[in-house]
Amino acid sequence: MLDPELQTLVEITLRTLWVCGSALLLALLGGVPIGILLGSSQFMSRGLLVSSVNAGMGAPPVVVGLIGSILLARSGPLGGWNLLYTPYAMIITSTAIALPLVIGLTLAAVGSLDDEWELQVRTLGIPRHWRIWLLIREIRMGLLAAVIAALGGILSEVGAVNMVGGNIAGETRVLTTAIMMHTSMGEYEIAMSQATVLFGNLLLLAGLLTWLQQSGRKR
Amino acid sequence: MLALRRTLQTTALITFALAALLTLPSGAADKRSMILATTTSVRDSGLLDALLPEFTEATGIRVRVIAVGTGAALRMGREGNADLLLTHAPASEQVLVDEGIATRRTPFMENFFVIAGPAKDPAKISAAISPEDAIRRIDAAGAGWVSRSDDSGTHKREKALFQAAGLDPEADRDRLVRTGTGMGLSLQVAGERRHYILSDIGTFLAFHKRVDLEVLSKPGPSLRNIYSILQLDSSRFERPLHTSEAEELERFLLAKKTQRAIGAFGLDKFGRTLFTPLHLADDAPASPPSPVSK
Amino acid sequence: MTEDTQPPSIALSAHNLHVRRGRGKDAFSLGVDHLDLHAGEVLVILGPNGAGKSTLLRALAGLERSVAKDVIRGGDGPVTLVFQRPAALSGSAEMNVRAALLGKGIPEEVKRQRVTRALDRFDIQALASHDARTLSGGELRRLALARAFVLEPEVLLLDEPFDDLDAEGQRILSLDLQQAIEDTNVAVAMVTHDLRRALLLADRIAVLAPGRLAQHGLRDEVLLRPNTQDIARTVGMTNLASGRVCRQAGGVSWIQIEPGFEVPTTAELNQEQEAWIGIRPEHLKLDVGRGDGESIGKAVVESLISDGLATVATLRVHDRRFTTHLLSGRGLARRLRPGDPVSLAVRPDQVHALPA
Repeated sequence: MLDPELQTLVEITLRTLWVCGSALLLALLGGVPIGILLGSSQFMSRGLLVSSVNAGMGAPPVVVGLIGSILLARSGPLGGWNLLYTPYAMIITSTAIALPLVIGLTLAAVGSLDDEWELQVRTLGIPRHWRIWLLIREIRMGLLAAVIAALGGILSEVGAVNMVGGNIAGETRVLTTAIMMHTSMGEYEIAMSQATVLFGNLLLLAGLLTWLQQSGRKR
Repeated sequence: MLALRRTLQTTALITFALAALLTLPSGAADKRSMILATTTSVRDSGLLDALLPEFTEATGIRVRVIAVGTGAALRMGREGNADLLLTHAPASEQVLVDEGIATRRTPFMENFFVIAGPAKDPAKISAAISPEDAIRRIDAAGAGWVSRSDDSGTHKREKALFQAAGLDPEADRDRLVRTGTGMGLSLQVAGERRHYILSDIGTFLAFHKRVDLEVLSKPGPSLRNIYSILQLDSSRFERPLHTSEAEELERFLLAKKTQRAIGAFGLDKFGRTLFTPLHLADDAPASPPSPVSK
Repeated sequence: MTEDTQPPSIALSAHNLHVRRGRGKDAFSLGVDHLDLHAGEVLVILGPNGAGKSTLLRALAGLERSVAKDVIRGGDGPVTLVFQRPAALSGSAEMNVRAALLGKGIPEEVKRQRVTRALDRFDIQALASHDARTLSGGELRRLALARAFVLEPEVLLLDEPFDDLDAEGQRILSLDLQQAIEDTNVAVAMVTHDLRRALLLADRIAVLAPGRLAQHGLRDEVLLRPNTQDIARTVGMTNLASGRVCRQAGGVSWIQIEPGFEVPTTAELNQEQEAWIGIRPEHLKLDVGRGDGESIGKAVVESLISDGLATVATLRVHDRRFTTHLLSGRGLARRLRPGDPVSLAVRPDQVHALPA
């Protein structure tokens, strides 16, 4: 029905959105609570954990990919899960890359609150889960920044997902790995069309999130 | 603490629900599959894209092609992370056979390397009597040379040629560029700088139009690029390999019909064929391991 | 009007309150043996900076860790604390007040009523839909109080509620607060460094010395009979001196501060006893021959400082400085100039004295 090249492009794009969307969601679901916990409690090893988060934020994604491919290979400790060269490995790796970022930015957002914010809300006798809701409400702009940053990082990831995904046609090929492959093959035209789609998606999502951010600011 | 635990539980629940929901696009998890480790130049030639669909259709086996550098492909074989290897580094392949990691090595197609360079040919290698002589001329003229330096099949051949020419391949030379990267990129670098370079014919043809280089070498036995299939010994690894699938793929690649297709491949894309099949004589794989022929 | 003769019930009774914060050199500890908060009454907590006033409030609110304590509650109503710098949640003022009622199973209609009433108490209904973060300092304080009162608390703890307010703002807020306390019969403990404001509102006073409760009791008790000179200074009894009882007659002991400077007091002292005396500025009178108390000697006016309402006159008496308050713009305040000689007088029953 459709031109086969176009069909492939659609298939790769849908997979890209699925892998990146899942990774973003997981990074947020895992990272925001951890960020809030780290940001609002005081305990002995807190400094160590925060340093790890900061280190994680700066960690090269390709290193995460390398570690992932070693762990998930058949010969590796997690080989029994048969995850290498599947989209799930790509989701896990992308999540691992984005997680420190989300935690770090959420931490910063919580830190920007008044020191006594939590105490003050507590003295109003508000139950715990409502306090958490209020906290998230209070830092929602910071969280949005975390979403934007994580999304950008996940969508543009190429090295790590190539390593753990294998760029297998019809299974683990996403826009970034396809672009890299076609470029190395000299097929620049195909690579450009894929790059355009990727960029278009990025612009759309970034625009949407920025609009959300700005409208939140005006309120 | 209760509210926090509840939040974490809800989070976990949502995560699992989403993960389950998002399992939709996966499909085909229970069909037969195997991992074929090969090199980027093999993938880049497009041969596998042309051959494999028919194989999958006929056998129902999904071939997951992982294209990495030669070194990585051989390493995958060594560690049992692939079911079948398709590489073109005869000496290294033989090492795997000697160590018993590979049960057999079956050359199944070949093409050749070329020494390409600027049309002006400052080192005058078009007049060389052999590829080794060409290398000597390049060295003597102090002309520029681009090396992939990545332990790929091409790089290994390049080192062998230098040694045969009586030169140290690792020595630093003036105007020696080490790219540490793939063939296509290295060709582009060579084109930009008007250096000489060793390339496989497939990639050269793919980049011919956008790279200002000409084939200046004459074919010779030392420029033969032999592609082999390596069958691995599953018993060596903790997790068993998909040996039956691997053997079916090997049979397919060696079959007359496939071999003929290999011989015809490239005509429409490059105006010339890329590979010479080595198994047109018979349908069955060569049972005894064949020695490295050079 | 019939006087309410029933003693106010105790809303909160704290015993053996011990707070320890920090470690080593910066460690801070506070120990309070016993302190009660009475329903409908305001307890003002005074003391020097760092004595632990805010810490005491927070301990009563249950916010301080490492607290060994026994707190007996008169009822089970909420205890809430209004902080020195109230936090404004992002959202409208109304939302801020409403937030206090989150998760308490209060029906919507009741919530609405309580919120309206709370906003009303502190006259901020007009600001209900304003973004709380755009409110001025004074408006934010009112919001914080409304938010506290919407809880219908049984115990209300206030940390410097009049900070950053101008005189008029303080006055109005004070009135609204008093009205609210009267309406709800809430027990209040308030920390403030503004002595005048404290004296206007206090029913009881607690004075902290570093790390401990030095004196507490009914307002007049503490104001008029501080146990030590430090406490005296804290509660505004600034005219202090020491001497010895030189003569006694008719229930009055005369304490000689210096030859020629004797002060009478009705306090119970023995002849020749060493004692210190304290006179509140408002009880130190300039003798104008009207027979207001006993003359105690001459002084020279050193300075006159007026804030529009009261003039604080600093007098030099035998090398000491005493202060007294005059009504601005009237009588003596108008006539006196620095350097003028004056005579001082006191009523012996207004001179506080304790053995040294």
